[in-house]
Amino acid sequence: MGQKYGALIPTGRLLDGRPRTILFDAAKCIGCRQCVQACKDWNDHPRTTLYELSSTNWITMEPPVLEGLSPIWARNSCMHCEFPMCAAVCPVEAITKYEEGPVVINQDTCIGCEYCIYACPWGVIAKNDITHKASKCTMCSDRVSENKSPFCVQACPVQALDFGFQDEISAKAKQRAEETGGYVYGEKEAGGSQLLYVLKEKEESYGVPAVGPQKYPRHRIPLVLMLKDLFTLRCGLAGKARALYLALIHPKRLIYRYWPWRKEG
Amino acid sequence: MANSADIFPRERKTRLPGGYMGRILRVDLTTGSMRDENLPEEPLLRKFIGGQALASYILLRELPLDAKPYGRENKVVMMTGPITGTGFTPGGTKVTAVYLSPLTNHTLGRGAASGFWAVTLKAAGYDGVIIEGAASNPTYLFINEGKPELRDAGRVWGKGALETEDLLRAEVGLKDARVMCIGPAGENLVHAAMLCNDYNHNAAHSGGAVFGSKKLKAIVVHGTARPSLHDRERLIEAGLRWRNTLVVRHEAEKRTAGHAVDLGGAPNFNFRSTVIEESHIEGFDKNRVTLRPCFQCQRLCPWDVELKAGKHSGTLGHFNAGSEWLDTFYNLGVRGNDALYLAQRINDLGIECSHFSCGVGVAFEAWEKGLLNAEKTGGLKFEWGNVEVIDRLLDMAARREGYWGNLFAEGPVEVAEAIGGDAPKWIVHTKKGTPALHDWRPHFGQMIREIVASGGMKPQGGGSVNPPPDLKYREKWGPLDRDNPAGWPWSNALSEQYRQFCGLIGGCWFAQMHMKPDGIKSIVDSFNATTGWNFDIDQALEAGHRSAMLQSIFGTQRGWIAEHDWKEVGPRFLEPLPDGKHKGFTIAKWLPDMVYEYHRLMGRHEKTGRPFMDTLKKLGLEEFEEWAQLD
Repeated sequence: MGQKYGALIPTGRLLDGRPRTILFDAAKCIGCRQCVQACKDWNDHPRTTLYELSSTNWITMEPPVLEGLSPIWARNSCMHCEFPMCAAVCPVEAITKYEEGPVVINQDTCIGCEYCIYACPWGVIAKNDITHKASKCTMCSDRVSENKSPFCVQACPVQALDFGFQDEISAKAKQRAEETGGYVYGEKEAGGSQLLYVLKEKEESYGVPAVGPQKYPRHRIPLVLMLKDLFTLRCGLAGKARALYLALIHPKRLIYRYWPWRKEG
Repeated sequence: MANSADIFPRERKTRLPGGYMGRILRVDLTTGSMRDENLPEEPLLRKFIGGQALASYILLRELPLDAKPYGRENKVVMMTGPITGTGFTPGGTKVTAVYLSPLTNHTLGRGAASGFWAVTLKAAGYDGVIIEGAASNPTYLFINEGKPELRDAGRVWGKGALETEDLLRAEVGLKDARVMCIGPAGENLVHAAMLCNDYNHNAAHSGGAVFGSKKLKAIVVHGTARPSLHDRERLIEAGLRWRNTLVVRHEAEKRTAGHAVDLGGAPNFNFRSTVIEESHIEGFDKNRVTLRPCFQCQRLCPWDVELKAGKHSGTLGHFNAGSEWLDTFYNLGVRGNDALYLAQRINDLGIECSHFSCGVGVAFEAWEKGLLNAEKTGGLKFEWGNVEVIDRLLDMAARREGYWGNLFAEGPVEVAEAIGGDAPKWIVHTKKGTPALHDWRPHFGQMIREIVASGGMKPQGGGSVNPPPDLKYREKWGPLDRDNPAGWPWSNALSEQYRQFCGLIGGCWFAQMHMKPDGIKSIVDSFNATTGWNFDIDQALEAGHRSAMLQSIFGTQRGWIAEHDWKEVGPRFLEPLPDGKHKGFTIAKWLPDMVYEYHRLMGRHEKTGRPFMDTLKKLGLEEFEEWAQLD
């Protein structure tokens, strides 16, 4: 793990260190949104508002129309990147990549600077209006640490979601792509993710963005946001102190935040 | 408000059990006033729980004895239950509406719907709604995050259910608002008009007509609340066990003739043949079928279809389980994708399909036998399988257009009487309502269920050959003989009780797989984990029994007697089967004995249908003693 990521992002271990992956099979999905509601159930999020990603709605099924009214569906949620840009740009190292797969935002540490929101190539991180902290799918890291599958996966009534060790799921994805005449999405994007899709049509048809293969892809954090954080009291004194301290002890971690146009890292 | 102030406490003094939102919305459409009622305290709440039982109890306490179905004084009481919308169980989707039925004028009308609406009503902050009075102009009720308001529905009046749903969702500007509405049938007081929700779902048995009489087009709900849960961990465990008992439906089943296949025959040509041929499913193999399950239920009953063959290719259809809408048009001689096309039309117009099919079936038979001709039908050819004519008749019935539109809106009994001659012998009905449209005739359990219905119009139960595995500790009988009536009345009574229980806790009885081990116990455990109560299976059955008893007391108060159950049945429903494996079979030769036995077993007098005092005491319903059978 350490070797794979260098000292570029905070890493951790939940259970046994074996990487796991979620598989989304678009050919099986019926767009019932039981995964969306199951996510809300497990995380005790408010009931409705199903069509937009938010701090309390970590999965959407695209397109944003009623169940049954689209012939094809795609999942939109955190991809749990192998090289998570959100973690790389976080000034307070509130985002951890776990060896088992989950990329998790620590709510106690987050200062709400929004860098991760702009850095995510899939745009799946949202800010909570009340706590002002960034929030997204955790891959049910609490369940994974008990060797259980994410709650959305166990909720799926048509087995369009699957979960398992990365190598096995990767093989399954390839096999399903072959069977359905489709392809695997997520294996190369942004250096690879731990959520794989089996798609048949082009990404755009599913409302899924085309993301290049670059690890830690170039971010889109507005300069004004960075300057705001440097020169105003935004994020608080404690946040600034912590960001400064971490910059001093992990200077390498500044690379992705302040040098977004670099070549492959 | 009559006589019910003691039901709803001004302030709750006992702890609100898990699963409930704690409030019922009372809406007076006449004055436009609205207020919140607190849920009853224990022990009342524990006794009636929710769903049909609590709703019926409120109606029994509040509805004047001289109320008329379409009068301002009639009320619609809609209740969910504690497991509706917890998210951790399958089948937690139910809302049940009760009212005085305009089909019979004297029994409890009851419609129940699944889908997403009931869950969203709770998310909007309410366990139920009581609708009183009548608006002077078309109105809809919008409840958003605990805030109800009445709005003008002029723009959607006259529209079909699907369009109404879309338009109202757009009007409130909330994509995930959920809509329960009526189609033109409800507006025009077609006696069997339905409540329609979430595209695929209908609560049948006249609720739509009562909504129409109150000029209430729809109830739109939206919200983010969720009920508190007594023991989340235990609920997740019980919910998973429940899920494991489900018999999951598959796409392939949606390309068959539906439930008719399981029952051994479809009704054809007004119940005169049961044969299922290839033509019944013509085109089904080419259609695009998508399963569209209810909220968090893995049984996958509802489904959508895009017709890919036939004259109406391209039509989208939205259906639920059951497939009575398919048998509805098989019964009129329609086959294949044309039947699906018409089924979508009838659901959108909001007519209970059996009401239409049993009425039109009699008229078509009269045409075939020469009692009707083009002169009498305004030039319309009442021929079997004439899709254009049936399509036209659907519109006429839903809007009460012309002589025939009015008759079909009234019901099959009125149609037959108007035709005269032998036509009254060709009717299928029970107490002027119509059975869910399948050919139930070869089956004792289902026939006794359809006929008795605990003095109401919508039956539950049906029985089983063996007792459910979870009840084997107390039920020492079975297997029953399909050709011998012995044991079937009790089998039906028992299944009525556990199905009632499933409904009144807010669960769907389609998700209650009673013949699987753990099929009943996992539901009772889910209920206990949600609420914090500690019901055993006997108490659960007793709660179901109590609900059925409230249904019959409502009828008793308004003139229903048990004798009506077997005397007011359309003759065709009791004719020997015309063909097929069970040719010649009829339940008729065991009537009225089976009806008598059923009522005795439920604790009622076999002829009057009144409950015995002992039964009322056992069920804690002593307050209704004036309606008891005393000798």
